[in-house]
Amino acid sequence: MKKSYALFFGLVLLFLSGNVQSQDLDALMNAEIQPTVDYATATFKASRIINGHSIEQMKKKQLDFRISHRFGTLNNGAYGLFGLDQSKIHFSLEYGLTDWLMLGVGRASQNKTYDSFAKFRLLRQSSGAKSMPIALSYFTSVEMNTLKFQDPTRTNYFSSRLTYVNQILIARKFNENFSFQLTPTYIHRNFVQTELDQNDIFAMGAGARYKLSKHLSLNAEYYYTYNPNSKFLETRYYNACSVGIDIETGGHVFQIMLTNSLGMREGTFIPATTDSWTDGGIHLGFNISRVFAL
Amino acid sequence: MLKKLFLLILLGTSVGVFAQGKFIAKNAYLSFYSSTPMEDILGESNEVVTILNGETGDIAFQALMTTFHFKRALMEEHFNENYMESTKFPKSKFNGKIEGFTKEMITSPVADIKVTGILLVHGVEKTITIPAKLGLENGKLVASAKFNVIPEDYGIDIPSLVRDKIGKEMEVTVKASYLPFGQ
Repeated sequence: MKKSYALFFGLVLLFLSGNVQSQDLDALMNAEIQPTVDYATATFKASRIINGHSIEQMKKKQLDFRISHRFGTLNNGAYGLFGLDQSKIHFSLEYGLTDWLMLGVGRASQNKTYDSFAKFRLLRQSSGAKSMPIALSYFTSVEMNTLKFQDPTRTNYFSSRLTYVNQILIARKFNENFSFQLTPTYIHRNFVQTELDQNDIFAMGAGARYKLSKHLSLNAEYYYTYNPNSKFLETRYYNACSVGIDIETGGHVFQIMLTNSLGMREGTFIPATTDSWTDGGIHLGFNISRVFAL
Repeated sequence: MLKKLFLLILLGTSVGVFAQGKFIAKNAYLSFYSSTPMEDILGESNEVVTILNGETGDIAFQALMTTFHFKRALMEEHFNENYMESTKFPKSKFNGKIEGFTKEMITSPVADIKVTGILLVHGVEKTITIPAKLGLENGKLVASAKFNVIPEDYGIDIPSLVRDKIGKEMEVTVKASYLPFGQ
């Protein structure tokens, strides 16, 4: 009994070793390759969806030089060449200090505003050996209005010029072509024009990207403000709504959009968009991004 | 008792034959390079896996596209997103055979050889023959090769906008230092 056992065992071993021998190299190789973590890349093409930030950021030692323009409103008509006679500019330098921290400084011609921001990548969407359904980042910025103080009779503090922005960016690349982002936002303005204006603004942003081809995508973005300014104010404020396309050509990304906001920074386009799509208060605009490897 | 001894010997020899038969390199180097007046592009991976069957002369390579790294982060993104479509085609493979293989090839100093096989890139398979080198160097079995690949042959489309920046041909360099399989 014992002997036959041993014989059987021996045969099995012989068979096994022979089997391993005849295994195809491909199968052997597959056994050797460790499962990897596949991170979702290019959830959005640029660091902005349209006006607001996307989950994307500069990798380490990469510098992004951005120039953005917003023209006047289309309802200017032919007299104002549909808004092209006027334009606001914003330019910025944005740098990846590490793969998870990006810093930037910029200047907008609207209200002569300087801004600085930091974007922290906290979670990356991944599949494979490590699975994470969403990507999550924290964005914070300070904007400084440098227009001359208009009322010489009151005490003007430096702090009155500051606006603080805090955003959580939650994004998911659903498939090769479609990505979506939710952006809960809290903005604090130290100083507002009238007592009917809100110092604290709560908003929710939603943005999406649909890839039309390898180098072209369609984007849309909407910011809903939970506590818009009082309707008794002379100036009406609207939710920021934009549609645009991204065109990518190697080191450049061109973003061309139609939007009802003139501002290009969170502190202006979220709480202070004064034009409305329904009245033709639509601005043509573009962002150009050029990335340098330092 | 005799049977057990016989079994042990059998086991020993089978494992021995097995170890002698195949060689593996898990950190082989693979790069591709293109140079134009506008831009030089160099993608490198040090995580290519290759197995060589020392009995038959069969040789195989596998590379995960996401293990390739570039100087510019943007190049890496474009490589995976626009050109290789790495989510659709995560691996490139080569399965080939050394022409006129003899067992002496793996025990003698480095010499020129020819390998013919199927290269799978971007989901497209093509039979290619490449000149390569194989043999012992400082007591280690090494293999290397240098050959050109045309991206268009593998259905990789390069838009006219960036045509000036990406060479018509990619120079592929492979370097592997093998160890006996299972060590």
